Amino acid sequence: MTQDTQAPPLPPVKPANSSPFRRLSLVWIVPAIALLAVIGVAIKTYIDRGPLIEISFTNASGIAAGATELRYRDVTVGMVERIGFSDGLDQVLVSVRLHKDVAEFVDSEAEFWVVRPQVTAQGVSGLDTVLSGVFIEGLWDSEPGGLQSRFEGLADAPLRRMDRSGLLLTLRAAGKATLTEGAPIIYQGITVGQIGKTAITEDGSTSEAEVIIYGPHDRLIDSATRFWDTSGFSFTLGPGGAALDFSSLASLISGGATFATMVSGGTPLEQGAVMTLYPDEAAARAAVFSGEEGEALAINAVFEQNIAGLAVDAPVEMAGLNIGRVTALNGLVDQETFGDSRVRLVATLAIRPARLGLEGDKTDDAALAFLAARVREGLRARLATTSILTGGLKVELIEVPDAPAAAIVTTEDGTPRIPTTASEISDVSATAEGVFTRINNLPVEEIMGQAIDLLANINALITSEGVRRAPDTLNSLLDDARGVIASDDIKALPGQLRGVIDRMATLIEGFNSQELASRLGKALDDTAEAASGVNSAVEGVPDLIARIDAVAANIQDVAIDKVADQVGDLLATVDSYLNQDSTRDLPASLNTSLTELSAVLTQLREAGVVETAKKTLNSASNAADAVANASTDLPALLDQARRVLAQAGTTIEGYRAGTGVSRDARDTLREVQRAAQAVSSLARAIERNPNSLLTGK
Amino acid sequence: MKTAREMGLIGCQRCTRVSPAGTELCPRCGGRIASRDPMSVQKVVAWWLLGVACYIPGNLYPMLETKTLVGRQSSTIIGGAVDLARHGAWGVAIIILLASAVIPMAKFVIIMGLVIGVRRGPQTSDRLRQRLYEMVEYIGRWSMIDVFVVAVLSALVQLQTLVNISPGRASIFFALSVIFTMISAQNFDSRLIWDTGHTPNPDLPPDPATGKESSA
Repeated sequence: MTQDTQAPPLPPVKPANSSPFRRLSLVWIVPAIALLAVIGVAIKTYIDRGPLIEISFTNASGIAAGATELRYRDVTVGMVERIGFSDGLDQVLVSVRLHKDVAEFVDSEAEFWVVRPQVTAQGVSGLDTVLSGVFIEGLWDSEPGGLQSRFEGLADAPLRRMDRSGLLLTLRAAGKATLTEGAPIIYQGITVGQIGKTAITEDGSTSEAEVIIYGPHDRLIDSATRFWDTSGFSFTLGPGGAALDFSSLASLISGGATFATMVSGGTPLEQGAVMTLYPDEAAARAAVFSGEEGEALAINAVFEQNIAGLAVDAPVEMAGLNIGRVTALNGLVDQETFGDSRVRLVATLAIRPARLGLEGDKTDDAALAFLAARVREGLRARLATTSILTGGLKVELIEVPDAPAAAIVTTEDGTPRIPTTASEISDVSATAEGVFTRINNLPVEEIMGQAIDLLANINALITSEGVRRAPDTLNSLLDDARGVIASDDIKALPGQLRGVIDRMATLIEGFNSQELASRLGKALDDTAEAASGVNSAVEGVPDLIARIDAVAANIQDVAIDKVADQVGDLLATVDSYLNQDSTRDLPASLNTSLTELSAVLTQLREAGVVETAKKTLNSASNAADAVANASTDLPALLDQARRVLAQAGTTIEGYRAGTGVSRDARDTLREVQRAAQAVSSLARAIERNPNSLLTGK
Repeated sequence: MKTAREMGLIGCQRCTRVSPAGTELCPRCGGRIASRDPMSVQKVVAWWLLGVACYIPGNLYPMLETKTLVGRQSSTIIGGAVDLARHGAWGVAIIILLASAVIPMAKFVIIMGLVIGVRRGPQTSDRLRQRLYEMVEYIGRWSMIDVFVVAVLSALVQLQTLVNISPGRASIFFALSVIFTMISAQNFDSRLIWDTGHTPNPDLPPDPATGKESSA
């Protein structure tokens, strides 16, 4: 290939086109498209940008701008853009950029709250927010209602949410029932509702809470449904044994409520209806039939006595029916009304008009009119004992016959006041106190003093020489007696005695056969009469005894020592007597006398003694009659005896006082001795001739 | 030094066959041949602009989004490197910084410098410019290393709730930026280097005084 040394002509380079379009490269389309895309995106973003709403919260705990989402049904529909303060720094304003498509629905009824992790006895909720941070949950209905831009955030999640719609009620606690916030409502063991935020009612008398019953369980609720508290546990000890009752562990810890529809025929409830929460099932059931519905009539009763035992919730009864309860107890000082400044007990009674059994209108006005009419007839309030053991009191409305006129008056604060009457309180303690007072008043010390004196006297008697000597003497006496008993004659006695008894038996049979018994009965009756006479006469005896006592005391003072000496002498004499031979011969002579007696009895049987005995008994009967007659005179006799004893007392006093009198006494004693000797000889004569006793010669 | 153009020849850029001036299709490979690409600078500038535009969000948006049990963490490229440096991993931090910040920026500067050199006359020697161009061409592909790391991580670390790594928005923009920069560099007609600067103007008759060997 030949090569020109001359440089070849330059390869033509296409000149850039003179047209401005031809001079531009097609590649510029790419940045142009990119630019257009960016602009398009920017415009779209701007157009799609939702409105900004402001939600006020008390604090912004956990909320971060650009990170915290607004969710509706757990779908993100907005984002927090800015967190600021309200004008007075008293609230946090959270600005949320809403998605455009939901903006129309966020109307004035929308609610917002912050979902935070919560650990309660019912469980753990919002756990995901522990890791992901809190989010704001929104709730609104599906009716577009125009956008609002300012909202008040709720402190807690509302009861009714998207996933838990149902019947909203207001529960009002009655009595001791407690409402626990967040506690479940359990029906047949299933949680069918929840107790919301609790609050004190406006009048401050009880607490109330919003309650939701989730659908479809809300169909279980109607106007005849009664709610009661199942928190805690109940322990009952009765004839059926002990029973520990609690509904579930959760409600044991955190409270809860349940319900039952007690009667049929209830009407469906409106949203927000007010129901009552009873302390227990029994109360709830009782309320169904007692008609707890309606207002209670508040009435005051002022009691004169301030007696412990009346408490709030004590029953108010009329004719044995519970018609209400005591709602408050206060002290009252009202000088104008009562004329003094004593503190009186004012009990406020809540009376259920429905329980009064009024016809027609069951309002409190009707009840007041009814009570006013009854008060004019004598109806009064009084305190009465419900339990003797605990001393608990109740208020009773009773008719008091012949009551002083009174009427129900309305006091300054507008509460009617029912008149009261004296309380009927069986006070156990008062009775017991009386018993103790009586025991206290017994003259214990005097009695003790007398007893001590008596013991001292006895002591002096026992320690006297004569008494000390007595045992020895008695010992020797017993030795002698043993000697007598050991003699053969004595040993022979039993056989003879048996013979005598046999004869006696036959004799008594003879008596029996002749209807003696009836006569004896009559005689005994007479004797009984006489005894009753004696009994009536005995009334004067205590006094007599006191005198005898005094005499005895005197005697003790004076003569015991001497008497003891004499007794000692006497025993010595007896001893010597027993030692004599003649005494030893006594068994023999006794023997012969028994033989004689046996003979006499034989004679008796032969000589128609029975007739004589019959006569004798007749006369004995007569004698008894005479005694009976005489017993009427006994009081007089007793008087005489008392007088004699008094004289004896004075005599003895005189005996002690002067020797002059003692001489007379000695003479008297001598005469007595003589009389005794006469008696002795008479006895001896009878001993010699026992027949004379029977024959009367 | 004489260029092919000065010798009335056109070199095919695909199969390197030298054809006489005026040839429009390479007789060997059939490709369209031209002595110079008149649109080269425009193309370079257009792609360069796109590359720079994508590089800005690529650095502002997060590159990686890491969701763990205790939280969600997203970090930009620079932020991630700074975090690594704070934790003491200086080596890794420097590599990331080099690959993701220094090199792309250097590429933008070099490409724009080459374009300026073509339009306004060179400030450095042709040889250096050629060396820089080759370096940009060569190193461009390695700039994707960041994007590869993100792709591998988000493919491997998918442990549901425990740890979950997903590419952030920046990864797309960064990848686009690298791609656009590479296209931009490829569109640069390196033969223009020789038309300007110390070599005579191709439109002018060749200068016999500069009797150097042609290199193109």
